[in-house]
Amino acid sequence: MFEVVVPDLGADVEKAKISFWHYDEGDKVEKNDDVVELATDKATFNVPAPESGIIAELCVKEGDEVEVGEVIAFIDEEAEELELVEEDEEEDTNF
Amino acid sequence: MSSNAVSTRLPSWLIKKIYRNEISLETKEILKSLKLNTVCESARCPNMWECFSKHRATFMILGDICTRNCAYCSVKKGLPARIENSEPANIVEAVGRLNLKHVVITSVTRDDLEDGGAAHFARTVRMIKKMYSGVVVEVLTPDFQGDIDCIRQVAESGPDIFNHNIETVTRLYRQVRPQADYFRSLNLLKFIKDNYPGIYTKSGLMVGLGENRDELESTFDDLIAHSCDILTIGQYLSPSRNNIPVAEYIHPDEFKYLEKVAFEKGFLYVMSGPFVRSSYNADQVFSKNYGKKEV
Repeated sequence: MFEVVVPDLGADVEKAKISFWHYDEGDKVEKNDDVVELATDKATFNVPAPESGIIAELCVKEGDEVEVGEVIAFIDEEAEELELVEEDEEEDTNF
Repeated sequence: MSSNAVSTRLPSWLIKKIYRNEISLETKEILKSLKLNTVCESARCPNMWECFSKHRATFMILGDICTRNCAYCSVKKGLPARIENSEPANIVEAVGRLNLKHVVITSVTRDDLEDGGAAHFARTVRMIKKMYSGVVVEVLTPDFQGDIDCIRQVAESGPDIFNHNIETVTRLYRQVRPQADYFRSLNLLKFIKDNYPGIYTKSGLMVGLGENRDELESTFDDLIAHSCDILTIGQYLSPSRNNIPVAEYIHPDEFKYLEKVAFEKGFLYVMSGPFVRSSYNADQVFSKNYGKKEV
C-alpha cells in the first residue's frame, strides 16, 4: 500500500486545503497522474500518485485542512495486480 | 471523479504540479546538509519542486531574515542573524554537487549592515568563479540603498548577469515596496551597464497587483531607458493573508502579449508567463535565442 502525503510546500507552510480530488475510491491511477489538488495561501498544487494502483482510501474530503506530512490517501498496488490477474484469467477462459 | 470543487480554486493555468522525486529530494537534502537558504523555500515559490527536480535552486545568502517589510514577500522580517562565514564555501560545494552551470545568488536585504552585505556577495561570486570558471553567475541583489560603493563591489566580483527587480509600476511602490524607490532601482541598472558593459542587466516585474497595461508599458520604457537587457514578467501570488492580496489573475494570452510588446521595446530577452519568477529557468537566456539581438 502506498501513501499519498502532503508534501513540503515552502518555508513555514504547515497546512493546506484539499481543493479537489481527481479520483474517487476504487479508481485506477497511473504513477505521476494528478491525484489531488492542494491549496495554500499562496498557490495551488497538483500532487501526483507515487505509484500506479487502485485508490484504496481517500482519508479526507474536499474543503478539509491538512497538515504537511499528513497521509491523505492510500493507493493499493496489489489491488491493481489482482485486477490484472483477474483480467488474465478471464482472457484464459475465452480460449 | 469528484464533483464538489471548492469555490476558492485558482484558474487552471495557476495550478502547479509537484515534482517530488529522487532528484528533487536529493536537491533538498544537499541544501539542508550544507545549511543553505534558498529563495525557493523562503518565498514559498510554487516552482520549487519543479526546479529542485532539475537540480536547480536559487541560493539566498546573508541569512533568512530580511530588514525590509515588502507587502508581497513571505521572507521572514526582523533582526537578522550573524553572517555565516562558511556560506560562500558551502555554496561552491553545492554548485559542484548539483552540477550547476548557471548559478543564481540572491539575498535578503541587509540594511543593518554598513555595506548591505556587498562584501559577502562579492566573496561568494569570486569563490564560485575561482572554482568553476565556466559557470554563469547571476546575482539578484537588493538596492543597497543606492550606495554606489556597494553596487560596485558586487559588480567587480565578476558576475555575468546583474539582476535587480523593479517588481512593480511606480504608482504602486508606496503600497508594495514602501522602503524602496522606483528610480533608485532604475538607476542601479543603468549604473551597472554604464560602468560594466560586459555584464548583462536584468529585472523582473510582478503583475496582478492592480497595474494596467499603460503603466506596464511605461515601466518597460523606463527599464529600456536605464539599459536593462533582460526582463521577466510573472503573476503575483499572495504568500499569506498578511500580504497584499492579488488584484487580478492575468490570463496567459496577456502574458504573451506583454512578452511581444517588451521585445518590441528592445529587450534582448524576455520571459513572460504566470509562473515566471526572476530566476525561473534563468539558464535559458544563454541557451535559447529568443530575441533579435544576440544575448
